[in-house]
Amino acid sequence: MKISPVFASWLQVGPLALVLTVFFGLPVLVVIAASFFDFDHMAIVPAFIFDNYEELFTSEVTLQLYLSSLKFAVIVWAITLLIGFTVSYYLVFHIDSLLLKIALFLVCSVPFWTSNIIRMISWIPFLGRNGIFNQILADLHISSQPLEFLLFSDFAVVVAYVHLFTLFMVVPIFNSMARIDTRLIEAAKDAGASRWSILREIVLPLSKSGIALGTIFVVTQVMGDFFVVKVMSGGQSASVVSALSNEIQQLQYPPAAASAVILVIVVMLMVAAILRVVDVRKELAS
Amino acid sequence: MSATLNSGKIEVVAVTKTYSPGAPPAVDNLDLVIDHGSYCCLLGPSGCGKTTILRMIAGHETPTQGDILIGGRNVTNLQPVERGTAMMFQSYALFPHRSVLDNVAFALKMRGASVVERNAKARELLEKVHLEAFANRLPAQLSGGQQQRVALARALITNPRVLLLDEPLSALDEYLRLRMRGELRRVQRELGITFIHVTHTQLEAIAVADTVVVMAHGKIEQAASARDIFLVPRNAYVTRFIGGQNVISGTVERTADGSARAVTSTGARIEVPLKGRSASPGERIFASLRRDRVQVRRNTGGKPAQDSINAVAGEVHAIENQGSYVKVTVDLADGEEFVAHVLDEDFFIDPIDIGAPVIASWTVRDVHLLEDRQPQATGRVAAAA
Repeated sequence: MKISPVFASWLQVGPLALVLTVFFGLPVLVVIAASFFDFDHMAIVPAFIFDNYEELFTSEVTLQLYLSSLKFAVIVWAITLLIGFTVSYYLVFHIDSLLLKIALFLVCSVPFWTSNIIRMISWIPFLGRNGIFNQILADLHISSQPLEFLLFSDFAVVVAYVHLFTLFMVVPIFNSMARIDTRLIEAAKDAGASRWSILREIVLPLSKSGIALGTIFVVTQVMGDFFVVKVMSGGQSASVVSALSNEIQQLQYPPAAASAVILVIVVMLMVAAILRVVDVRKELAS
Repeated sequence: MSATLNSGKIEVVAVTKTYSPGAPPAVDNLDLVIDHGSYCCLLGPSGCGKTTILRMIAGHETPTQGDILIGGRNVTNLQPVERGTAMMFQSYALFPHRSVLDNVAFALKMRGASVVERNAKARELLEKVHLEAFANRLPAQLSGGQQQRVALARALITNPRVLLLDEPLSALDEYLRLRMRGELRRVQRELGITFIHVTHTQLEAIAVADTVVVMAHGKIEQAASARDIFLVPRNAYVTRFIGGQNVISGTVERTADGSARAVTSTGARIEVPLKGRSASPGERIFASLRRDRVQVRRNTGGKPAQDSINAVAGEVHAIENQGSYVKVTVDLADGEEFVAHVLDEDFFIDPIDIGAPVIASWTVRDVHLLEDRQPQATGRVAAAA
């Protein structure tokens, strides 16, 4: 039996298109529709009103939540970028043996063999008021008072985020760095470039697409998180999604939906901005 | 600065390079002197150590033992930038994210030159290689030949006294390769600096170089002028590698009047001028024979007559028309390739077919004795004697 090329290509995109439509497209449409619904204590009332959005845009809390989430996103992005770039640089340019390179790369992924929740919660006994870290400080007589800011604080939130998301920065940066022709570095050295110049003039620009991809992974995950903020801040910090989840718990679906729609738009704008700075598609194609 | 400091004379002194302990050395106790302002080609099959030498002269590799001197100064432990050398990399290693102009100006930028200054100098060099119109393009938007010229301009911007070229023409198509090698030669003459050019293509080396260095297994087999390497190759390896010549061999019967009479493994008699060297009876000697001086004629009467010398009988194995000459491969049934380059005019008067029995003959003055010797098995000596 001969399959026409048109039918064949439909057959190829079909399964993924179906999955995306049913599990992504439809839910998004439902959320968008629900964001215009009315509600009371008992039920959700289908309607077409802008009250949910109006409330969102007029509330001062919204801005504070976004600023809080953005603050975490920026701090975590900066730290994961520094770690991700350094680790990748070391793996790519300082490890000669390919086997060792792959082995060390796998070691980076070891923390991912357990679930996110366990990885995060395991920080609590370490950072707590009577946790391991404070105990060590006390035993070494470095500090008489236990450090209070370690747990249930923004510090703890950032530590957990960095732990959870650094690999998302390492992988794409490693990938783009590994494709840098080592002769380019030699050519730069031949032209008299110092280590620092090579980093700035050659390695950094040629790792741009990896940095952009890693940034997208990390920023979107921080922006979309509520669990880490809730647990690690002990309820003292909030994020856009943690507020949203409170509304869901109170069965206020329409305002939660409106909040979700705005968040998706904001994150999409952030990703678009990143892609404007770095043409990831062009760099991936080359 | 004294004149010697500006000199691009290269001395490689007893250099050995071993990449990993226990492995055979990539470069084995090698000595080489390259005069200032000469064009030197390092020639050899891949893995012979030619690129390693180049990289050690450039400073991208450190010798395990030995010294490298440039202009009389020991540079063994200096950084690439301190050596006054510049390297043109294989497939050019142009920075893909920088414009042509920025690529060329890069070395000046690293030396702290101002934007105006370095761009002016870079434009000047781009003009020299006829690429001024492409200054703002990215390397990927240029053809292979244009990229090669950008790489040349980039290497020359620091006015190096030695330019090191790693397979500079291998990424080009045949037509460009021929054009660019002439161009490289012209630039070298114009600048009067030392060029060291690594290649595995014999004709390329012969065409551009003053000095050709033929290498094998980390050692130099022969370093001589391009003319000498063709006319008086040292041994069978060089002869076979350079091409254009046949290697013939035979067991010495007797020597007289400064030449040796030898018998080939198929029983043909050859005469080899000794030119002051010695050969003793019973020894197997090797000689090179220019392919363009070999006559080929149909064999009508079986074996050549017993008293005929410098003639071998065989069967035509392959015929390749090369335009101005025809390459006739003759199977002599002794395992060594034997080729005659017959002038096209002569060949097409009476073309020979594949499979035809032929006699190939030559005169003694086109035979050159090689250094290789083989003590012959006693049975053979007895037979020859």
